Amino acid sequence: MDIAILIFLSSGLFLGWSLGANDAANVFGTAVGSRMIRFTTAALICSVFIILGAVFSGAGAAHGLGELGTLNALPGAFMAAFSAALTVYWMTLARLPVSTTHAVVGAIIGWNWFSGSVTDLSALSTIMSTWIASPILAGVFGALLYKLTVWVLNRAKLHLLRLDSYTRIGLILAGAFGSYTLGANNIGNVMGVFVNSSPFTDFTVAGVTITSVEQLFLVGAIAIGVGVFTYSKGVMMMVGDGLMPLSPVAAWVVVIAQSIVLFLFSSITLEHFLASQSLPTIPLIPVSSSQAVVGAVVGIGLLHGGKGIRWKALGSIASGWVTTPIISALICFVMLFVLQNVFNQTVYYEVRYQLSAPVLAHLEQEGVPAAELSPLRDREIVGGLRFRNRLREVAHLPPEQEDKVIAAAEIHSLLIDASKFPKLDKAYLSLEQVRALEQLQGRAFEHRWQLYDALASLTPAWRKLENTKINKPFNKLLGQQLDYIFSYFEVSQVAPE
Amino acid sequence: MPSPFVFLKRFNVIVMKEPKLALFGKTKAMETLIDDFLDKVSEGGLRFEQGIAAYIDQSTPERLAERAEQLRVTEGEGHRLRRSIETQLYTEMLIPDFRGDVLSLLEDLNYVLGKLEDIFLAITVEQPIIDEPYRADFKLLASSVVKAIEAAILGSRAFFRNITAVRDHLAKVYFHEDECDQVAITLKRAIFSSALSLDQKMHLRYFVDRIDGLADEAEEVGDWLAIYSIKRSL
Repeated sequence: MDIAILIFLSSGLFLGWSLGANDAANVFGTAVGSRMIRFTTAALICSVFIILGAVFSGAGAAHGLGELGTLNALPGAFMAAFSAALTVYWMTLARLPVSTTHAVVGAIIGWNWFSGSVTDLSALSTIMSTWIASPILAGVFGALLYKLTVWVLNRAKLHLLRLDSYTRIGLILAGAFGSYTLGANNIGNVMGVFVNSSPFTDFTVAGVTITSVEQLFLVGAIAIGVGVFTYSKGVMMMVGDGLMPLSPVAAWVVVIAQSIVLFLFSSITLEHFLASQSLPTIPLIPVSSSQAVVGAVVGIGLLHGGKGIRWKALGSIASGWVTTPIISALICFVMLFVLQNVFNQTVYYEVRYQLSAPVLAHLEQEGVPAAELSPLRDREIVGGLRFRNRLREVAHLPPEQEDKVIAAAEIHSLLIDASKFPKLDKAYLSLEQVRALEQLQGRAFEHRWQLYDALASLTPAWRKLENTKINKPFNKLLGQQLDYIFSYFEVSQVAPE
Repeated sequence: MPSPFVFLKRFNVIVMKEPKLALFGKTKAMETLIDDFLDKVSEGGLRFEQGIAAYIDQSTPERLAERAEQLRVTEGEGHRLRRSIETQLYTEMLIPDFRGDVLSLLEDLNYVLGKLEDIFLAITVEQPIIDEPYRADFKLLASSVVKAIEAAILGSRAFFRNITAVRDHLAKVYFHEDECDQVAITLKRAIFSSALSLDQKMHLRYFVDRIDGLADEAEEVGDWLAIYSIKRSL
């Protein structure tokens, strides 16, 4: 087992620990803060369900690679995970609930900055809109749901103890479900980047094979669970009591309002279902549970005239949201510099761009005015940022066309190597998709779109459908499968000089 | 039929916890404990009223002692139930937001139950002479006091089950308390304008005040109940 891999893995575990210490408050903060559930009980349920979610439902993330999958060198990914983890740890020390995903995206921006890669501006606008949309939506839903719950309870005439019992069960169920989702959704961020370099090997116990990925995710999930047990109480108390003292019923409403907002505004499955039934769809908005839970608490507080809300605490939380990606990006940039220059590690691989004749022809087909790009024809440019600057010197393209040009010109050495087929995860692909890949055995490609075109020409199973709401889930899965194939068959990368 | 656990425990055969049904079983048991406690306070009030009537109607000392003993047993059971509720509320971490309110409410009602026993015991020990002109008013005073306590108990039950009904019961508490004050004043005026000796006057006034004080205690329970209800109305 390579010691370097273990060292790199440690930052993933640190990120998992930080995530557990901070994000457990999103699912159990109000229950613990309102003293309905003991911290140890909440931590135990939370940890168990995080582990179950990560191991059994985190499989999709095994190929999605999480956010950090865009980083092309393991030491770079290590440092990005470490920077995000350190930022979330600091926020946890300050008892501030923040989004771990935002910290990771911040670290990736730091990596992009350091490596001269292009940062997708939509990632930044997504974070900023999350700061506003999540709390507002959750606040509105929290207030409405609270009103409705009180109305129902006043008519139900439940015994105080019976209500207490139902609320406790509701909090436990919502918390367990939330923990499961937390584990399933976040294990990709924590461990996804290490999937291809997993130090574990598959083994079989009583006829059940436990794959190296499952073992890796189990270790990551245990790290999250340890984070929940050791350090999450402070943030939980901030969410459930520090921001505003909550009644048990309000505590339950907060958790449910948060789940509803996440489900309604971020579920492609729901959008697909509504569209397939010819019903109007709900617009998908970037929402985050850390922001939503705070919004729901404030929404209920405002319903009572806002008297119970501790505005100073709310101000601290909001400033934590804004500073998280910034701090994470800065730490990542500085640490990458140290790692590269002091420890002599390759923190990124150079990415080359070239507008060759096939690329220009492909772009022409895509509706990009390729003639404007002719001054850059056949010139190989190293670094995304440099390529984009050159591109802007010769042509003024709208942002979406500019993105198309950058993606099409990016050079990747792809070889459909026959020796790699035995280890290909065939369960993740359809039979038709695997057959198409087999037909391409031995062929090499310079650009990802070339491999995609080749696969799409062989079978509709590799062909993206028209971009409609009904087709979105299919296209999303296909995109993830393509990313898996692209990274799996990539052969060599160049370290910076 | 008592459970085998109760039988075995009675004979010290085993010392262990009775098996409890998880979740709702525990809640149901707790609801029953609270209902039992409120029943005891209510029973105490009725026994007090019966006891006063028996004393005024000059029952035999044995009969009065029996009444006093019944009230003592009721008070003792109420006290035990309150302690049990208190312990379980804390150990099971139930109703964290209303635990303090519920315990105060039960303690106040337990205090009323204790007072009922104290006053009746004092009457049987001190044996104040209640002459014919005052007997009806004494009975009326005791009856009104018990009505005020009964209304406070109904208000307490409503606090647990039907918060909107608390207000109706509290109105009755205040009504009966006011009635008690009026009866007490009428009684005291009649006593002090009579030809009774001063020591007898003072003795009767003392018991009028103590019995009337029970209605004040019921009113106090009502006042707190009104505050707890505002909190509980979400």
